[in-house]
Amino acid sequence: MASSTALSFNFSTLSTHFKQNQAPLRGICNVNSVSLPSRGIRPGSFRRLRVSCAAKPQTLDKVCGIVRKQLALPADSSITGESKFTALGADSLDTVEIVMGLEEEFGISVEEENAQNIVTVQDAADLIEKLVEQKAA
Amino acid sequence: MNIRCFQRNFSAALPPLVPLQLPSPMETHLWYIMPDEVKNSALLNQYSELLSSCERESVSRMSGDQLKKRALLARALVRTTIARYQTNCQMNPRSLRFRKNLYGKPEVEWRNEDNFSPPPLHFNISHTSTMIACGVTVNVPIGIDIEEKQRRTKNNIIAFAQRYFSPYEVKVLTAISDPEVQRQEFIKLWTLKEAYVKALGKGFSAVPFKTFTIRFRDTTMRNFHPPGSSVSEESDIVVESSEDPTNPANNWQCALLEVAGSHYGAICMEKDRIAGENAPMKLTVWKTVPFVEDVCVSGTDAVLVLGGIIEQ
Repeated sequence: MASSTALSFNFSTLSTHFKQNQAPLRGICNVNSVSLPSRGIRPGSFRRLRVSCAAKPQTLDKVCGIVRKQLALPADSSITGESKFTALGADSLDTVEIVMGLEEEFGISVEEENAQNIVTVQDAADLIEKLVEQKAA
Repeated sequence: MNIRCFQRNFSAALPPLVPLQLPSPMETHLWYIMPDEVKNSALLNQYSELLSSCERESVSRMSGDQLKKRALLARALVRTTIARYQTNCQMNPRSLRFRKNLYGKPEVEWRNEDNFSPPPLHFNISHTSTMIACGVTVNVPIGIDIEEKQRRTKNNIIAFAQRYFSPYEVKVLTAISDPEVQRQEFIKLWTLKEAYVKALGKGFSAVPFKTFTIRFRDTTMRNFHPPGSSVSEESDIVVESSEDPTNPANNWQCALLEVAGSHYGAICMEKDRIAGENAPMKLTVWKTVPFVEDVCVSGTDAVLVLGGIIEQ
């Protein structure tokens, strides 16, 4: 059984290294408290779960909703975290409007440097989580 | 025999590209395609042959047929247009290589070969769902942006401007009482700001929109142009940077156009020192379908100058 005393990783530095491995490991992104399922976790996989910090599914869903609305995407079009904004047809005005919509929805402020690095929907969700956490801290 | 010249056609079905004269200093060539008018799937397939495999893959990753077609046409336009400006011999559009500068701005990667002096071409593209445009200059960087005139924002315009534009620009927009006129002026301002940032080529975070102001200035000091000349002098467009003294914004010349009755288009290019401070920007505009036809639309209703000192 995992014990919480083993959890002393520094999330923020590690999460940026493991961006590409986020897909199967969503839902674990909370610095202060960790809730782990009580069974099925092998000690070896524990570390792997902790370092891959991705945005909560609810955040991602909200982001997808805002993107879908801004780009007026048909209901049956698929948006996932991996979707690139440009591939969805977003131009620069769309991207800026999406960022503004996200700022309003989540009560955050996105600096232009950070906005420029947003390539995928997941990038946006992760940035939001980071900013929300910083604001709460 | 110059081995870089491709004497034969690269594709049996496509005619050779008609070569083009380079733009002169202080001149912009603007090329645009209307994607809805390009329906021939054989032609589209042939365009696809011109792309690099990397570009083809990017096109395939676009979501839906319309976006794929748009991406394909954009690459075909850039490749064929640049290939046509080769002064030495006919260049194969397929063999052009592109890269991004340090900040992500696309540019041509010329091959460094003996006796081959690449033309000092600069280009920039922009697209909407109904138009793809490519601007070309020599010697100086260029940025362009086009937006549909009917473009609507999801956010309130003033709220958006307060968030992203400079205080002066917010003031100008707020003073417009008619919401439709306000929306149009907002779109025009957006295209100008985009074009400026793209011309600088240092990425959006290097020149946040709030740090510079674009404004229209009545040309009280009119340069004397002979009657019948084709210089439009409605108003000059001035860029003022609040932050960067090392790159004074009066180095840059802007134009605002209405294109094809449906789009606002902004062009921003660095001034050519030799041409002089108040020299008009020369502009030639073509509507094109690569390999099929070019129609020069300069001086017609398809190109209306809304701002900037422009000679067509």
